[in-house]
Amino acid sequence: MGRYVARRLLLTIPVLIGASFLIFALVYALPGDPIRALGGDRPLSPAVVAQLRDEFNLNDPLVIQYVKYVGDLLQGDLGTDFRGRPVSETIARVLPVTIRLALVAIAFEVLIGLVAGVLAGIRRNSFFDNLVLVSSTLVVSIPILVLAFVSQFLFGLKLGWFPIAGTQEGLYSYLLPGLVLASGSLAYVARLTRTSLAENLRADYVRTARAKGLPGHTVVIRHTLRNSLIPVITFIGADIGTLMGGAIVTESVFNLPGIGREVYNAVRAQEGAVVVGIVTLLVFFYIFFNLVVDVLYAVLDPRIRYD
Amino acid sequence: MTRPERSTSVLPGTATPVLEVDDLHVEFRTRSGVVSAVNGVSYSLSEGQTLAILGESGSGKSVSAQAIMGILDSPPAVITGGGIHFEGRDLLTMSPEEQRRVRGPGISMIFQDALSSLNPVYSVGFQIGEMFRAHRGMSKRDAKKQAIELMDRVRIPAAASRVDDYPHQFSGGMRQRVMIAMAIALDPRVLIADEPTTALDVTVQAQVMDLLKDLQRDTGMGLILITHDLGVVNEVADDVAVMYAGRIVERGTVDDVFGNPAHPYTDGLMSSVPQVEAKGGRLLPIVGQPPNLAAIPSGCPFHPRCSRRRLGDAAAPGRECATDVPPLRLVAPAREAACHYSEEVLGV
Repeated sequence: MGRYVARRLLLTIPVLIGASFLIFALVYALPGDPIRALGGDRPLSPAVVAQLRDEFNLNDPLVIQYVKYVGDLLQGDLGTDFRGRPVSETIARVLPVTIRLALVAIAFEVLIGLVAGVLAGIRRNSFFDNLVLVSSTLVVSIPILVLAFVSQFLFGLKLGWFPIAGTQEGLYSYLLPGLVLASGSLAYVARLTRTSLAENLRADYVRTARAKGLPGHTVVIRHTLRNSLIPVITFIGADIGTLMGGAIVTESVFNLPGIGREVYNAVRAQEGAVVVGIVTLLVFFYIFFNLVVDVLYAVLDPRIRYD
Repeated sequence: MTRPERSTSVLPGTATPVLEVDDLHVEFRTRSGVVSAVNGVSYSLSEGQTLAILGESGSGKSVSAQAIMGILDSPPAVITGGGIHFEGRDLLTMSPEEQRRVRGPGISMIFQDALSSLNPVYSVGFQIGEMFRAHRGMSKRDAKKQAIELMDRVRIPAAASRVDDYPHQFSGGMRQRVMIAMAIALDPRVLIADEPTTALDVTVQAQVMDLLKDLQRDTGMGLILITHDLGVVNEVADDVAVMYAGRIVERGTVDDVFGNPAHPYTDGLMSSVPQVEAKGGRLLPIVGQPPNLAAIPSGCPFHPRCSRRRLGDAAAPGRECATDVPPLRLVAPAREAACHYSEEVLGV
């Protein structure tokens, strides 16, 4: 297992190089001149533009620009944006916001999605099962933009249960955006758990467990739930990687200064260093959480061995 | 092939039965209609007795066993009538908790496919040990010791080093031994073996059947052997009950039934099995298909496939195969069959 993990981690290096170059090339390919745009309505003097273009290596060909960027990166320098703010500081500012939001969202997925799925799976075709079916279908069909505005208006403004926007109230500020962000995945987790559990309850080994005279809760929790959770954990693991990428819509509606909003603004301003730095980091997160899922597989199912 | 004479019998009143099934009815209520899987099955089992239940797929043999174990999938399965008495107590009127406590120490069961019947994510030692933990409140460590002993007893080589292995790491025969170890863990009075050797190689089949017989001799448990394998029945069973369309159509000692069937269906089964002595002769299959349990034929359920059926025989009132259901009746000493014309089939 240790060798497997080491090999997978080594494999991330070429992936990160490839991904960062692709992102670099995409920013390079964007039309327009980011330096001219810095001045807004008042055009910068040609001398200033030339100096800035030179400072940020914008006159070099793509490959040279990339090599210079990687050279700086290897010395621990992520570069600066066009206003001279270090990219590392930007990441340090926005990443915690996104991590908190993602954690709150995952907590909702697990707490509500998993519990609802388990209860629905045990009591197939009951009122609760149908309730989960209807409400999850409803949630999945509403675009997250609508859900975000409606819940902000209803729970933030009208009822006043949650802060309307911003992060002033600490973790509490993240509850409503976290729930909105989690809603789609939450519904999916509930459905996936329900289906997987209902299917496993008909398995031969569950029949054996009942024939052994094990108590009902042991049959369900020990002999059904663990096997049923394998696909659910795969989904949640992959979802953590996705959620770490930030949520442009949720962060914008609730005015949370997280990664999603930062990347969006950086792309608009063609801030190559910022985009490449953050997105490469996100690629790494995604690969890392996929590795965690694969390792968890082997823990949950002894039939899966990597060495 | 000579067999030792046994004194046990399926017929009531000859020994104190440990398990009695009385006029059991089971239906599956599905959206497309009601399927009558078991239609009035009665039998009893004494200590140390081996009763084989023989029948084609869909004859109700497994369903009646699952009804005894209380592990029918319900819905859709519903027990619509009858009684199941274990040591004099009716399992069907017990609370679910009381029923659960009978499963394991009282009656236990092994299944056809040991690979899918064992949980893939727990070690075999853990799954055997669960019996002691759930029913005797034993600690995890003591349960594991017991599991090793049991694995020894069912002749799994190097039990102590294999106790932490998982089901997929065992061969088919060894997996079935694990199932058997689990089933006999608490010295049950009755063991139901549902096609225990069907999924195994022929050589391994014999080993597993020998093991079951040895264990039965040691513990004196009653054994219900559900199978469609006439050879297995002939080797290990004392008595046999032949099922067709959810009913018992014939029963008696194995020697009697196999030696001279009293029901045309049993007769047909015998003729459809290859015999070494009759090498070169033709096998005689039973014509037609097993009945659709959602629409069982009227009268004798076997009559559409029966070569001896009599239709419209005015000389035999009340014995019209297509309309009169033949009851299971005594046709010879210690022999019962459900055919209007058993005496003819027997040739007496």
